[in-house]
Amino acid sequence: MTGRVTPNSIIIVGGGASGVVLAAHLLKSPNPDLRVSLIEKRPHFGQGMAYSTLLSAHVLNVSASGMSAYADDPGNFLRWLLERGIATPEQAPVYAPRSVYARYLKELLDELETREQQTGRLRLIREESLSISPTASGVEVTLANGTSVVAHLAVLATGHDEEPGAGQGHAIRMGSEADTALDPEAQVLVLGTGLSMVDAFLSLEQRGHRGAIVAVSRRGLLPSPHRKGNPIKLDVADIPLGTQLSYFVGWFRDLIRENQKAGIDWRDVVDGLRPFNQKIWQNWPSSAKRRFVEHTKAWWDIHRHRMAPEVYTRVAEAVQAGRIRLVAGRVVEIAAGDGFSVQVQSRHTQQLERFDVTRIYDCTGIARDISTTSNSVVRSLVERGLARPDPLRLGLDVTANCEVIAGDGTVSAKILAVGPLTRGTFFEIDAIPDIRVQCARLSKRLLG
Amino acid sequence: MLTKKGKYGLKALVHLARLPVGQLAFVNDIATGNNIPKKFLDAILGELRSAGFVQSRKGKDGGYRLARPADEIKVGHVVRVLDGPLAPIPCASRTQYQRCEDCNEATCQVRHLMLEVRQAIAEVLDQRSLAEMRDIVGDEDFSAALKIQA
Repeated sequence: MTGRVTPNSIIIVGGGASGVVLAAHLLKSPNPDLRVSLIEKRPHFGQGMAYSTLLSAHVLNVSASGMSAYADDPGNFLRWLLERGIATPEQAPVYAPRSVYARYLKELLDELETREQQTGRLRLIREESLSISPTASGVEVTLANGTSVVAHLAVLATGHDEEPGAGQGHAIRMGSEADTALDPEAQVLVLGTGLSMVDAFLSLEQRGHRGAIVAVSRRGLLPSPHRKGNPIKLDVADIPLGTQLSYFVGWFRDLIRENQKAGIDWRDVVDGLRPFNQKIWQNWPSSAKRRFVEHTKAWWDIHRHRMAPEVYTRVAEAVQAGRIRLVAGRVVEIAAGDGFSVQVQSRHTQQLERFDVTRIYDCTGIARDISTTSNSVVRSLVERGLARPDPLRLGLDVTANCEVIAGDGTVSAKILAVGPLTRGTFFEIDAIPDIRVQCARLSKRLLG
Repeated sequence: MLTKKGKYGLKALVHLARLPVGQLAFVNDIATGNNIPKKFLDAILGELRSAGFVQSRKGKDGGYRLARPADEIKVGHVVRVLDGPLAPIPCASRTQYQRCEDCNEATCQVRHLMLEVRQAIAEVLDQRSLAEMRDIVGDEDFSAALKIQA
């Protein structure tokens, strides 16, 4: 099954949230010759890893007004919730369950499919992609069933890695096949104390788990809760760009302090900066980027990536009651026997402490070296020199136009990437509010 | 508005951008070469150093040099550090806002237009690198160059 190359044909590899959002933006184009093929290996489009959870306690970490799939219609998701009676206007801000968001994306895609049935502009392919190869006239994507799809260009939207990173030893992902039934009284260890750890805690609670949860990260910091507020207004002319990290951090701390003196919550300052985060990142010298990732990011993340207030209350209560123990330190040794004996060295006292646990969950989050990814398409691109990790190894090296940069530094016009894969260049690109803007810009650039 | 401090800082950086990569310049040479009071220049270079644009070395062979390639440093980066938020008038800033005693900022049309102007200033200054500014040929030089070509 080798399709005919039609003008403006685009393959999107990955039909999770990023892929669906990109398809929706591309299909806004009136071009009748446009052909969009969306390839997803999971049975359902629009879910990916982020929105495949069925647990109602797993709510979105962004309120509904930030979750519209369309950059030029920010109220789209909230309206959808209100129309179906899932939320009421008085409820705002609404933190909807992620499964509800998956339904929103599914309905959106269903509508597009119906609309484009006559035009043939959208094709959904339920199959795993294995590799992308440039051809004379475009690209060819090889599928696991032995067939291939061709188009003028391909956009990678493969999102976050599904497997734990290398070096996490015996840790497994919550909800994976290895996550078998567990003694409800067993003590478990979680690598990570961020939002993924919170998700794991909620899942364990749901399963009726009663044993203690030891959560370990370098700093042992728990993300903050959201609070209703109004982001402060900033212009790019106000923000120091291109300085050393310490200078910027000093400026930002002062800004928070001044605003707090005026009775403004720090969240409104952090959120006020958000529209400029990509610009700030892109203007930093590489030394500032590196320092930020090493020293400042953990602190930044707990203020920037917050959780719904109700979720925070549950987690805080569990910490208070000793159900969750937050440990700042690093795992120095894991001995596997009946269960696992884990040695953790405290960050503050350097003391070693041993935890005997039945299971270790990997909740270290989404940052990992892209060259070790479990995604075969991305890995094969890197192995063949058609792509390379960005200098900080946060994702793939791409241009500000989302074009993938090959191992020898040449910019590809045929292979592009959106979403979390582009963190090295865009940094703030894990969540829908940023991904939808990226997709809108890319669509405009590709299709006008 | 660009203050004298901002102007002197940019001139000093252009001076450094003309040197071969890694070579240091004496503060005295920068000051006399660009007509900048030395004491003022010391203070300016100190601020540029803390923001990460220049590096200094102490001692007899000491001096200043660019901390990064001149094409990586944008003019807008430097002006914000020396003069604060880019703003054509003091009331047209969000973080360093200064109220005008003689007008109501909510209805002042001048301020609204000036908020637009600052976006335009940022757009120009954030696009232009120190290297580009260094290589700008003034009108007089330009006509001289034409004469030579002719």
